Amino acid sequence: MQAQESDGLAAFLTRTVADGASSRQIAEAVGSALQGIDQALAPIIGKSGVAALYKRTVHLAGRTHSFLALSQDGVPTAMDATALTAALEQQTAADAAAAGALLLRTFHELLTTLVGPLLAERLLRSVWATFSSGPSAQDSKT
Amino acid sequence: MTSKVTINRLATGVPGLDEILGGGLPEFSFNLIAGQPGCGKTTLAHQIMFALARPERPAIYFTVLGEPPLKMLRYQQQFDFFDTEAINKSIRFINLSDDAKAGDLDRVLKRIVDEVTQHSPALVFVDSFRSVVLASETDGNPHNSLQQFVQQLGVLMTSWQATTFLIGEYFTETDANPVFTVSDGLIWLRQSVQRNSMVRKLEIMKMRGQPTLPGLHTFRIGTAGVEVFPPASLVTSSQAGPAVVLLAKRLAMGVPGLDDMLGGGLPRGYSLLVAGPSGSGKSVLAAAFLAEGARAGEPGVIAAFEQNPNRSRSRIVADLIADGKVGLVATRTDLSIDEVVYMLMREIRRLGATRVVIDSLSGFELALAPTFREDFRESLSNLVTALAGAGVTVLMTSELEDRYTDLRFSPYGTAFMTDAIIVQRYIEVDSRLRRVMAVVKVRASSHSDQLREYGIDADGIHIGEMLAHQEGLLGGRPTRKATPEPASTGASGVQD
Repeated sequence: MQAQESDGLAAFLTRTVADGASSRQIAEAVGSALQGIDQALAPIIGKSGVAALYKRTVHLAGRTHSFLALSQDGVPTAMDATALTAALEQQTAADAAAAGALLLRTFHELLTTLVGPLLAERLLRSVWATFSSGPSAQDSKT
Repeated sequence: MTSKVTINRLATGVPGLDEILGGGLPEFSFNLIAGQPGCGKTTLAHQIMFALARPERPAIYFTVLGEPPLKMLRYQQQFDFFDTEAINKSIRFINLSDDAKAGDLDRVLKRIVDEVTQHSPALVFVDSFRSVVLASETDGNPHNSLQQFVQQLGVLMTSWQATTFLIGEYFTETDANPVFTVSDGLIWLRQSVQRNSMVRKLEIMKMRGQPTLPGLHTFRIGTAGVEVFPPASLVTSSQAGPAVVLLAKRLAMGVPGLDDMLGGGLPRGYSLLVAGPSGSGKSVLAAAFLAEGARAGEPGVIAAFEQNPNRSRSRIVADLIADGKVGLVATRTDLSIDEVVYMLMREIRRLGATRVVIDSLSGFELALAPTFREDFRESLSNLVTALAGAGVTVLMTSELEDRYTDLRFSPYGTAFMTDAIIVQRYIEVDSRLRRVMAVVKVRASSHSDQLREYGIDADGIHIGEMLAHQEGLLGGRPTRKATPEPASTGASGVQD
C-alpha cells in the first residue's frame, strides 16, 4: 500500500482526537509533521523543491476539504505551513484531524508517484517513525 | 621495500570502463565527467557511485542547478544499479541550488566543505558542476574565481581522502578551462550522429598516472546502465586462451563429404568464408556446423544479423539455442565492431564455445552504425583477428551475386583475411537450376579442387558427385562434354 506510513500518522491524529485534543493541538501535530518532511527532503531536493510539492499537495487536498484551498500565489521558494495550521485551528478537532491526515497522505502519494514507493518510504521514514513510536490506538483502549 | 606511494584503483562497476581506464579509477583522484546534455554523464556518475558506495565508504552526491533532484531520482531508479536502501545510508544526496543561485562560488564551496567535513565521504559528486560555473559567470570575468574555486575544491577533496567527480555540460573540449587543468581525470562522453543513427562514444582524455586506452570507445546505455566496449583486440587478448591453430585438430562440418573436400575437416581456429547467392544454402551449412559442434560437445555462438531473425533462423539453430548449446548474439542496430566482439566474447565465455557463426556479413554491415560502415573492411578484419585471437573457429556467410563472368568470393574483398573459403553457385542444366559447391582455399592444407553438385532437403545438405560430363560450370550455363572423363580424387597442393 502506497501511503501505509502516513496512515500511521492518520491513526495518531484520530487517537489524539479521541483523547480529547483540541484543533490547535491537531494543527500543531500536522505542522510538526510538515516541518519534519521539510527537514528530511529539503537537503535532497532543495527548499524550493519541497515548496513545490507542498503547493501541489494543498491544491489536491483542497478538493476534498475546501478550507485547505489556500491562496498560493507565485512560485514558492520555501514551504510555509502557517496559513495551513491557522486554517486547521479554525475547524473542529475531528475535521482538522481528517484534513491533516488527508494532506499528509496526499503528500506521501505525490512523492510516491514521482520517485516510487520504495524511495518515498525511504526518504520519509524518519518523519512517520516519529508519530508511530507512541502506543497504538488499540493499546490505549485496553 | 619501496618508497613509492601505492595508488589503489577503484573498480567502477561499469562494464568495460576499468579496462579503458587502465585498471580502474585512482583513489582520491579529482575527475571531470563532461559532455553534451543527454550523453549519459549523470547515469555514469550514479552507476559508479552505487558500485563504490558502502557504509564504510560513503558517498555524497551534490546536486546544483540543472536537472531537478526529484526528476533525477525518478529516472535514475529505473536502472538496475539503483539501490534505494543505500539512500541516506551509504549515499547522501545534498541539494545546493539555493547556494548556487546567488552565483557566489565561495558560498557553494563553504557548503560543500561543511558537508564533507561533517559526513567524511570517500566519494564526492558535484552535478552539474557546469551550473556552478555559469552561475559565477554573471559576475563578469569568471576564470580567476573559478580557478581558485576548483583548486581549493581539488586540494580539499584530495586532503580529505575523497575521490571526486565533477559532472559538467561542456560542448567543446578545446576550451582553455581551468577545470581541465586541475582535474586528474577527464572522461568525455559524446553522441556521434550520422544520418539517422546515433552512436555513444567515450574518451579518457586524461587520467594521471596510468596508461589509459586512447581513442573513442563506443558504449550503450541499457537497463543495467552504461556498458563500455573496449577495443576488440583487448577483449580477446585478455580474456581468451592462446591463439594456437592446430592443423592436426580439425572440426567436422556436419555435412557428409564436405570434411573430405576440406582435406579432413576445418582446422581448429580457422576462419571460413561460405560465399554464395541467395538461397544457395549458406545458413543451412552454418546450422550443420553448429549442430555438429553440439554433437561433439563443442558449444557454439551465432551472431544473427538477418533482417528478420525469427523467420530466417532454422529450426535446428532455434532448437540448439533453446537447449543452451548455442548462444545467440541478437541483432541490434547502430553497432560498432567493438560491441559485436564484446557480445560475442561474452557468449563464448559463458558457454565455453569453440565454434562461432556470423550469418551474414551483409546483415552485419547493415547492423553497423553508418559511421562504421565506411570502414567495414577494416572492421571485418578486426573482427576476424579478434576471434582468431580468442582461438575459436569461425564460419561467416556472405551473400554473393552470381555474375557468371568472374569467380568472386566476397563483395567485401574479405577473401584475403579468411583461412578457408567455400563457394556455392547456381548452374543451369537441362532447364533446371542446380547447385554446385567447391572448396577454394584452406590455408596451409591440401583440399579438394572438385566442383561438386549438392542438394538441400529437410535433412540438410547432401553433397553429390562432380558433373564430370559438363564443362563451363562457372559460367553458369555449362555444356555437355563430348566424352566424359572419370572423376578423380581431386586433392590439390598445399596453399600458402
